[in-house]
Order: sequence, then C-alpha cells, then structure tokens
Amino acid sequence: MTAEEFNLEFESIAPPLKSYLLRITASVHDAEDIVHDTYLKAVDKLYTFRHESTIKTWLFSIASNLAKDNQKVKKRWTEDVTDICKQEALGNRQFFQEAMQIATTSLHGAFEIKEHIAFCFTCISKSLPLEQQLCIFLKEVYEFKVGEIAVILDLSEAMVKYYLHVGRTKMIQVFDGRCALINKNGVCHQCSELNGIFNPKQKFQEEVMKIEMARDAEIADKEQLFDLRMQILQSLDPFNSGASTLQLHHLEHNRVVMER
Amino acid sequence: MFPGKICVNNCLFAYRFCWLNRQNSMKRFLTTLALMASIMTQAQNGKAITEKTTFSRTTSVSTTIKADPAIIWKLLTNTSDFPRWNTTVISIDGKIAVGEKIKLKSTLAPKRTFKLKIKEMESQKSLTWGDGQGNRVFTLKMGDNGNTVFNMTEKIGGFMFPMYAKHIPSFDQSFEQFAADLKKEAESIESIKK
Repeated sequence: MTAEEFNLEFESIAPPLKSYLLRITASVHDAEDIVHDTYLKAVDKLYTFRHESTIKTWLFSIASNLAKDNQKVKKRWTEDVTDICKQEALGNRQFFQEAMQIATTSLHGAFEIKEHIAFCFTCISKSLPLEQQLCIFLKEVYEFKVGEIAVILDLSEAMVKYYLHVGRTKMIQVFDGRCALINKNGVCHQCSELNGIFNPKQKFQEEVMKIEMARDAEIADKEQLFDLRMQILQSLDPFNSGASTLQLHHLEHNRVVMER
Repeated sequence: MFPGKICVNNCLFAYRFCWLNRQNSMKRFLTTLALMASIMTQAQNGKAITEKTTFSRTTSVSTTIKADPAIIWKLLTNTSDFPRWNTTVISIDGKIAVGEKIKLKSTLAPKRTFKLKIKEMESQKSLTWGDGQGNRVFTLKMGDNGNTVFNMTEKIGGFMFPMYAKHIPSFDQSFEQFAADLKKEAESIESIKK
C-alpha cells in the first residue's frame, strides 16, 4: 500500500476511530491525541501491514493498544456516575452558565434526548472492566465481527465472547435498574430533567415517544431494548451531531469529576 | 554397648514404623484416587453421585458442555462474577490463584463462610480448592465435536468424620444445579454470533 492510498484510507476511518476513542476515554483531548499517534505509528509500521486483516481492523488494533495504555493509570468509573456528577454539577454554577451559553449560541448546542442516551451509555460503560467495554463498543456500535475483535484486542474468540456476554449482561442489568425510559421504576430521570432545563417548551413525553427504545419499553425484552440503545449510539457521531458541543461539555465535566 | 544397642533397636523400630505408616498412607491415597476415579466415571449427564465410607463421603457430577474450555475456565475462576450465573453461590471473595485463599458462601449453608485455599491449578484443565475437611476438584477435558467434559468432585472426611457426618447435608442437588448453571451460561456465551 502506498502512502497516498494509506492516507485516503485513514481519512475515511478516522471519524469512527475518533468517536470510538472518545467513548473509551471520555476525553476529546485524549481521543484526538490517540488518533494522531495511531496515524504516526501506522505510517511508521506500514511496511509490516500484510493485508491479513482489513486496514480498518489494523488501525483499530493500534488505536486500542494506545487507548489501553492511556486508560491503564486511570481509575474506572462507577455505575452511579450520573448521580455523582449531577450532585457536583448542582454545586457548580460555572458549569450551568457555560452549558446555557452553548445551548443558546452554538450550532451544535441543542439538547436532544437521543444524544443524552448515548452520552449516558458512554459514562456508564466506563464502570465495566476495560476489556468488556472495548468488546462492547467494537461489536455493538462499530459492528466488528468476533474474529476481528479478537485480532484488534489480541484475544481468543472465546475470550471476546466471554467479555461481550458479561459486559452486555452487566449493562442490561444496570440500565434496567436505573433508566426510567425503559423501566417505570428506574431511578434516573436525568434526560427528562435536562430536557426541562434546555427545552422548557417541549413536551417530554411526546419527544420521548419518537425514540423506539422508549416507545417499545413495555413490549420489548431487555435484550431487545439494549440492541435499540446500541442503535442510537450507532446512529450518532459524538463530534458532529446536533448536540455534540453541549454533550462534549457535559462529558468533560463528568470526566473531571470521576477522574480526580 | 547396652545403651547403644537400645538406640540401634529404637532406630530400626522407628524406621520400620515410618515405612509401614508410609505404606498405609500410600494405600489410603491410592484407594481414594481409585474411588474418586470410579465416581467421576459414573457421574455423567449432570446427575450427581455420592459414595460414602466410614471416614469419608465423595460427591461427583459431570456434564458435557458445548463450549470452548477457555470460556468455562474463565467462569470458574472469576470469583466476583460467580453469583451472577451460579445459583448455588451467594458470594466468593478473593482471587483464584495457587496459594491464595477465598471466602465462599453457598446456598447450602448460607450462614457459614468457607475459607478455602486454592491448592492446585492447571489453566483450562483442573482446579482444586479445599480446607482441612476436604477438597473440591474441578476438571475440564476435551470431549467429542469440540465439546468440553466438566467434572466436579468433592471428598470430605477424616478420622472425626463419623461424628459429624450426619450434620452435613447432601451435596447432590447443589452439585447438579452448579453443573446445570455452568452449562447454561457457557453455552449461552459460546452461541454468540461470530
């Protein structure tokens, strides 16, 4: 592969790679750094690429290794991340002032429930052991096959299946207990609370019924609801969506709170 | 001379005694192995088998699992995840590694915490934990068509065993449930689409 061909390939793979890294690190700065380092490392090692996997798999493999190094020294988050960060935000006037300013002035500052669902999953997935979190994103959001994930993470297919199953089961259990969108008794109503703040004229119930996962909450089983949640993540680019600036501001707040 | 003779005789006696004792221990060990092997062979298809002697009780269960041994091994060695899939376990604290100790609470005796030592481990093949009263051995063997044969055998006993044997509940149902839970979970993981 020539350098020009590689650059073209890299350009097309960079956006999903960057969003994957954001979802793993919860840091725009780290995600951008790792994309940059992935490019440099890939260029340096291009002569070793033997087309035994796709270039996308190869690049995700380099990036995943760098992300693992990046996360090694950072503590994992907890399932109640949204509760902890909500309490912190309530005592942080500057956070709300900045958020309101983004909401009123930014082109990507609108609050959207769907985007908050994706943001929420990113935060809570950081409570999983790293291998489980990586496997879930690679399979459920970026649609890699088990064999490809095994190559990317240098694991056996059996271990990829194990991490996928355990991570998925854990996430289903957490969201079933917390998310009021899919369980009437769920303890977390953060998306409706924030929608009330940023979109005071909107009727939450009407808005929420536009989302298949919430609409099917009573008829679909927990596995199906999880798949619908994953479809929401698949459909959004956290760097370029309608609410990206607002959600990235919110994510940075949570990262600072959880990693200090 | 005389005291020396006594000393030599004593030494010979002690040597003979130790030798006989070692012979007896070896016999007991081989008998136990033979008994465990015979029970392990009999305990197939998820049905538990218990054999009792005056000084011991051995329970065994085997089942064929349609899953990679790596998956079964991971399930058996990830202590914190046990209660999620295994309905016979309330909790296991600690790390499964040779020489480490774990604290196990089982539904069979919910008020007791068993402090067990990890005695032997061979990755994806066998695991033994136990205490002064007995040992539990887990083994994984390659079966036909990529299946894995799982066996779990526990032998409890000792010289005092007849005195407390009647207070120890049967393990049969719990063993069958353990094997069924493991089979269900491992096969569910194996069936994930590639």
